[in-house]
Amino acid sequence: MPRYVVERAFPDGLRIPAGDEGAEVCRAVVDRNADEGVTWVHSYVSDDRKRTFCVYDAPTPEAIRKTAASNELPVDRITEVRVLDPYFYMDKRRTE
Amino acid sequence: MARETAETSGVLLERSRELAALRESLDVVRETSQGRLLLIGGEAGVGKTALLRRFCEGHGDLARIVWGACDALFTPRPLGPFVDVAQTLGDELEALIDSAARPYDVAKALMRELGAAAPTILVLEDVQRADEATLDVLRLLALRIEPIPLLILVTYRDDELDRIHPLRVVLGELATSQAVHRLKVEPFSPAAVAMLANARGFDGAELYRKTAGNPFFVTEALAVGETEIPDTIRDAVLARAARLSLGARKLIEALAVVPQASEMWLLEALADDGVERLEECLTSGMLRPEDGRVAFRHELARLSVEESLPPNRKVELHRRALAALVTPVTGSPDLARLAHHAEAAGDARAVLRFAPAAAERSASVGAHREAAAQYARALRFADDLGLEGRADLLVRCAHERFITDQFDAAIDALKEALRLYRELNDERRVGEALSTLAQVLGKTGRLGQAEKATREAIAVLEGRGPGRELARAYSTLSQLGMYAADADRTLTSGRRAIEFAERIGDSQTLIHALNNIGSLAAWSWPETSSELERSLELALQGGFEDDAGRAFSNLAELAVCRRNYRSADGYVRAGLDYCSEHGLDLYSGYLLATRAWSELDQGRWTDAASTAAHVLDMTRDSTLRTLTVLRVLATVRARRGDPGAWEPLDDALALASSAPDELQRVAPVAAARAEAAWLEGRIDDVGTETDAAFELALRRRAPWVIGELACWRWRAGIREELPPQTAEPFSLLIHGDWRRAAELWAQIGCPYEAALALSEADDEEPLRRALGECQRLGAEPVAAKVARRLRERGAQVPRGPRATTRENPANLTTRELEVLALVAQGLRNAEIAERLFLSAKTVDHHVSAILRKLGVHTRGEASAEATRLGFAGQDR
Repeated sequence: MPRYVVERAFPDGLRIPAGDEGAEVCRAVVDRNADEGVTWVHSYVSDDRKRTFCVYDAPTPEAIRKTAASNELPVDRITEVRVLDPYFYMDKRRTE
Repeated sequence: MARETAETSGVLLERSRELAALRESLDVVRETSQGRLLLIGGEAGVGKTALLRRFCEGHGDLARIVWGACDALFTPRPLGPFVDVAQTLGDELEALIDSAARPYDVAKALMRELGAAAPTILVLEDVQRADEATLDVLRLLALRIEPIPLLILVTYRDDELDRIHPLRVVLGELATSQAVHRLKVEPFSPAAVAMLANARGFDGAELYRKTAGNPFFVTEALAVGETEIPDTIRDAVLARAARLSLGARKLIEALAVVPQASEMWLLEALADDGVERLEECLTSGMLRPEDGRVAFRHELARLSVEESLPPNRKVELHRRALAALVTPVTGSPDLARLAHHAEAAGDARAVLRFAPAAAERSASVGAHREAAAQYARALRFADDLGLEGRADLLVRCAHERFITDQFDAAIDALKEALRLYRELNDERRVGEALSTLAQVLGKTGRLGQAEKATREAIAVLEGRGPGRELARAYSTLSQLGMYAADADRTLTSGRRAIEFAERIGDSQTLIHALNNIGSLAAWSWPETSSELERSLELALQGGFEDDAGRAFSNLAELAVCRRNYRSADGYVRAGLDYCSEHGLDLYSGYLLATRAWSELDQGRWTDAASTAAHVLDMTRDSTLRTLTVLRVLATVRARRGDPGAWEPLDDALALASSAPDELQRVAPVAAARAEAAWLEGRIDDVGTETDAAFELALRRRAPWVIGELACWRWRAGIREELPPQTAEPFSLLIHGDWRRAAELWAQIGCPYEAALALSEADDEEPLRRALGECQRLGAEPVAAKVARRLRERGAQVPRGPRATTRENPANLTTRELEVLALVAQGLRNAEIAERLFLSAKTVDHHVSAILRKLGVHTRGEASAEATRLGFAGQDR
């Protein structure tokens, strides 16, 4: 399944409450994603909490937009990505 | 029956979540009097039926319960489960199904009967095996269930749906309906298996490893009661059967050849005096009684026993079943069951007697897939039938395959028929088969081969003077000309076909030829479109279903090509109703592709992408349809700036390149590729992507295609002379009048085109409007271009609204949008209810939700808001 980075902007800052309530919010998102075969791998959040970079596995970009809509999350850009592992290249050089 | 109870409780371990979900659905139906459909998926043996039996036993006092199951015939009987249902519901429905009624009428009668005594639970089991007509009824029920206090529980094996399974198409279609919910039944957890195993002194881990938690397997393994756990379900079932007396085993073996619950008289015919052992089989739990009939406790058990029978015994049993079913004790003979046992008994004569008859019966209720399968079954036994009989079966089989979108299989059958007719020296039939072959080849894009076949048909038939076959051959030639948008060829051959058809009174060929000539209007020749409308009228009057389906499909496409979206959406809706009622998969597919195209043009991109994805899930024999939806999907991605636009565009290009003469393939793909290249800033590619298509469009004098392609070429800096017939909004824009072009596009109903036109402006005000519109649509790349131009002019550029709310600013649900569009047209709630098949109460509810979400107090304010937000005109 393709992997995507989804950039989202939160002009008012993103707030996920700690504790049970936050766990509940995340669980709800994960459950709704499952309807479209979308997996939220993890996210990176900017220091000011106004932008997030979320890593997703999903069948299509449309599936990501659909779950974003049902989760009421903004989507600014979707980019299909592949893993680049710098140590893979460094190891290779060492063995050559 | 102590063992049965223990099993029942075992099977229902870990089912409290499912039971609660079922109970909640029933409560919603009882409290709101609104219908609901629950799709219950799970692997074979996971306990779907056991779950539903337990649920229904517990709630028989709260609702009337009606049960129907799809049987395991290789080719199912049309409307099979509703035959069961009719037995519970009464004579009227039974008579209707007996009289080979259409799915639409069956659904209507069912809704009347099921809505009469409130509330009702309707269980439909194993719909992965359902025939096409049953799936149509299910679809219609689901779409219109809301105002009826009815809970439909549908079970299916989700591990048996391959990519092109017909049920997948239905599931996809139902996915967006609010009345449809899903429930997945999972296998037992290791903990539950361990609990059951420990109670019997088994090793829980070992039992789980072998059964993977499959409840049926677990129950069977435990029922064997030996220390060794069997390796497969089959071993478990057979080990359990081995513990029965010899007589009981014989009875079970006899019953195993009947793929549904068996009538007592059938059982007697199969097992003679073995019937005395029935009590033992029932007590052991291997069989269970069912409404005066007897069935295996589970289909997996029946299959295991059937597979274990030696071939000669199997044949012997099927022969007995066949003999008994020819003269049933009650009711009329069931052709699908007869054909099934005839084949299994290897009785060629019986297959040839029953399979074609079963095919005709299936086709008459719109189950064309099953009809094709029955003809194919007959053909497997047709070696001694004689050339003519075989050729006749092949032609009929090809027809059923053609209208269910199995083109390659249809072509194989027609080529074989052609060979036989040639051997028979039957010129008339050779000519006829060649025309039919050409029509199927044409649909797959092989225009060269198709034209060769048609010319050959004309050569063979011409010497025989004007006749039905010759008229049809000319009409076919006209159809191939229409695919190429070649007006001269279409009109010359089409008019000749009409002349012949009128002379000999062949209305079907007349309808066909009128369709070809009328469909030309999609590209050029607008004045011929009335002939397509006449073709539809005549087809409906004469009851020529395929021709009517084709006319609906071509009218819808013509309207989209000419950018008349109201008309397009109207024909799509009416056409889909008609095709679903008559089982015309092929044209439903075309209509859905046209719907995706129309949604794209009208700026409803989420809908367009999901309709396109749905069509891609269907078979791909129809390459034109596939090409259309690949292009739509790719364009949505490109316009949003999402990844993954080029892969579908490359696939579409490959499908277009195989028919370089077909404007209907070449032009839309070229335009989409030019647009995607332009959006990525690769303007040098626009020329190469469009050169051939533009040249073809000029030759065919197709105003809208010329305009669209010319416009992309102009944006890429190509300056060239435009012919006078170029469609107006495009030529206005190219000649610098962006303001008037934007107005025209807004009137036509293409918001993205309107925004593109505005983006050509130099003033801040129109650029701001373009930006706002692009942000609303989610058109990131163009929004970025416009924002850059605004900044260059020193203007402040606002951030766009949140992405989720762009296409649908107030977060209205799809149904609420539908209702709002009708409110904006000034309809009263009662009228809206009628239009959308809802109860007035439900519409009241939707309207208040809409007012709340829009933050307004009156319907008038809501309409104004709808207009402002740009979805007042959406006629879905």
